[in-house]
Amino acid sequence: MTGKERIALTLKGSQADKTPWVPFAGVHAGKLLGYTALEVSTDLEKLVASLLEVNRLYRPDGQPVMFDLQIEAEVLGCDLVWSDNGPPTVSTHPLAEIQEIPTRIPSPTEGRLPLELEAIRRMKREVGEHTALYAICCGPFTLASHLRGTNLFMDMILDPEYTHALLAYALQVSKKMADYFIDAGIDVVAVVDPLISQISPDHFAEFMTKPFSELFSHIRARKTFSSFFVCGNATRNIEPMCTTAPDSISVDENVNLAQAKQITDRYGIIIGGNIPLTSVMLYGNQQDNMKTVVELIDSVSTKNLIVSPGCDMPYDIPIENTLAIEQAVHETEVVRSMVENYQSTGIVFEGALPDYANLERPLVEVFTLDSATCAACTYMMASANDASRYVGTPIDLVEYKYTIPQNIARCREMGVKQLPSIYINGKLAFSSIIPSRDELVKRIREAIA
Amino acid sequence: MADMKAISEFLQKGRAKDVKELVQKALDEGIGPQEILEQGLLDGMNIIGQKFKNNEVFVPEVLIAARAMNGGMEILKPHLISANVQDKGTVVIGTVKGDLHDIGKNLVSMMMKGKGLQVVDLGTDVPAARFVQEAIAHNAKIIACSALLTTTMKEMEQVVKAVDEAGLRGKIRVMIGGAPVTDSFCRSINADRYTPDATSAAEAALAFCQNIA
Repeated sequence: MTGKERIALTLKGSQADKTPWVPFAGVHAGKLLGYTALEVSTDLEKLVASLLEVNRLYRPDGQPVMFDLQIEAEVLGCDLVWSDNGPPTVSTHPLAEIQEIPTRIPSPTEGRLPLELEAIRRMKREVGEHTALYAICCGPFTLASHLRGTNLFMDMILDPEYTHALLAYALQVSKKMADYFIDAGIDVVAVVDPLISQISPDHFAEFMTKPFSELFSHIRARKTFSSFFVCGNATRNIEPMCTTAPDSISVDENVNLAQAKQITDRYGIIIGGNIPLTSVMLYGNQQDNMKTVVELIDSVSTKNLIVSPGCDMPYDIPIENTLAIEQAVHETEVVRSMVENYQSTGIVFEGALPDYANLERPLVEVFTLDSATCAACTYMMASANDASRYVGTPIDLVEYKYTIPQNIARCREMGVKQLPSIYINGKLAFSSIIPSRDELVKRIREAIA
Repeated sequence: MADMKAISEFLQKGRAKDVKELVQKALDEGIGPQEILEQGLLDGMNIIGQKFKNNEVFVPEVLIAARAMNGGMEILKPHLISANVQDKGTVVIGTVKGDLHDIGKNLVSMMMKGKGLQVVDLGTDVPAARFVQEAIAHNAKIIACSALLTTTMKEMEQVVKAVDEAGLRGKIRVMIGGAPVTDSFCRSINADRYTPDATSAAEAALAFCQNIA
């Protein structure tokens, strides 16, 4: 079963062979190839190359093409501030001081829309057969706030008429964006509206039910899946969100997934979430990430579930953490025993480490989660095998899979922190990022010299 | 006779015009400005703060209540000054360098004012050195830093270092908050206090200023 089929089956309410996994790698995609956030936000070639690398290493069932809520706002006159390690931020709000309702709808040739739409088309050609592609559509409420600024919150109380009119306009923009994405071949339109977490259920009912219902109905009429992403603590608005009838809802770490799923299950809506972005993905280690994901999956029934980060992934998330998450989602039982073995104090290293200072020939040790299932591990092992044939002198090459308890103990003994990693003569040479054959051959020859 | 409870209730509903009228009426009737402040305006803001913390009210309700409080304060302030009512302490607040998000920071600022604290708002994209300069200039006891981005939260460490380098550790407390910030991050950068929401931030700031934390 392909990832795309897995997502489609899940979004139709059926159970797939495995729980689907959708890493929200926005600007983080650039990190995989050493590109800045600015580069992958503005340069088509770098963006597509990075997204393909996400596809190759993280083995997503579905993946977003860009995770940038500022594209529409930029076209509509908001100034942006750019960053090398985060998506751009809106810095000015054209309607901050004037209560007007714009009429302009972005055309597909404006701003960065050509970049985004072409990236969708290219990704569709490259990986669209097996991966579900997600497009991020800025939700009407967040788009209205980009245009109006914080005053929008006050408008909800002081000038409901204006608020309704501005949201109705933003809805027209969102519908048009969804059309562009669908025309370019997108599989899932994800309407992302982080500000939903900042309003009450009553205000949701008063202002949001209508535009969001209309938007999801529009996407459905175009025979495309939809999702409603919300960041922040949206606990109180999960049920109101369900009433707008998206195919799925994706929640942030502030929401208790199990409790939210009880609600979404009642409505037959698929829920996605909610691996903690900062405490676990950014600052945790591989074991933390595996443990968190296994526990997350255990906390709910896997029917109607998609596992994903809580929100857009921070640029600097260590690559190996995301590799570990992919394993934990797709090979949950194997990873469960890895975590148990890692935590067990009963497993002690029984062998002896090689005498690295007195080796007869170069020793390349590849530490992997499991080269049979983890894409990055497969590539790293393949790279090591390939290099071994080109060094020009016999070397010893060995793989230690983390699936075997004694190998976990060996990792501890060696102080191996990230998987996959390549050690040459007992010293760390590469971790997480797969070396080319030439790079690896060079390092092995240096070790011989 | 002007009713402090009514001031508080109008404030909670965000009815700025009614709050202003009642504050004026109370002053005209000879009620002390401190009593109006404490039992009317701050009481109302306190209740809104608790409800916000409990997810019973949300950002629009807080902003509208804060607007009503500001309306009441405009009337009351000259009387507080002439009656020599002291602030409970001064906080310098801002969103850290590289970060332009201000909703969270504004909410914290409002809740702190709602506790009777003087708040100097430096806005967004504030460099570490400026936090310290302004804290010294205003004799502030607290620097409160906000960040919404995982990339900018690291700037908070620079603020802590700037306070250290100025030799003001212990005299000025560094409080941090924002969506990606956690208590363990607070410990890792050696800041004084993390709070998860605006109301808790205001409570912690007041406790610092009253030297009970």
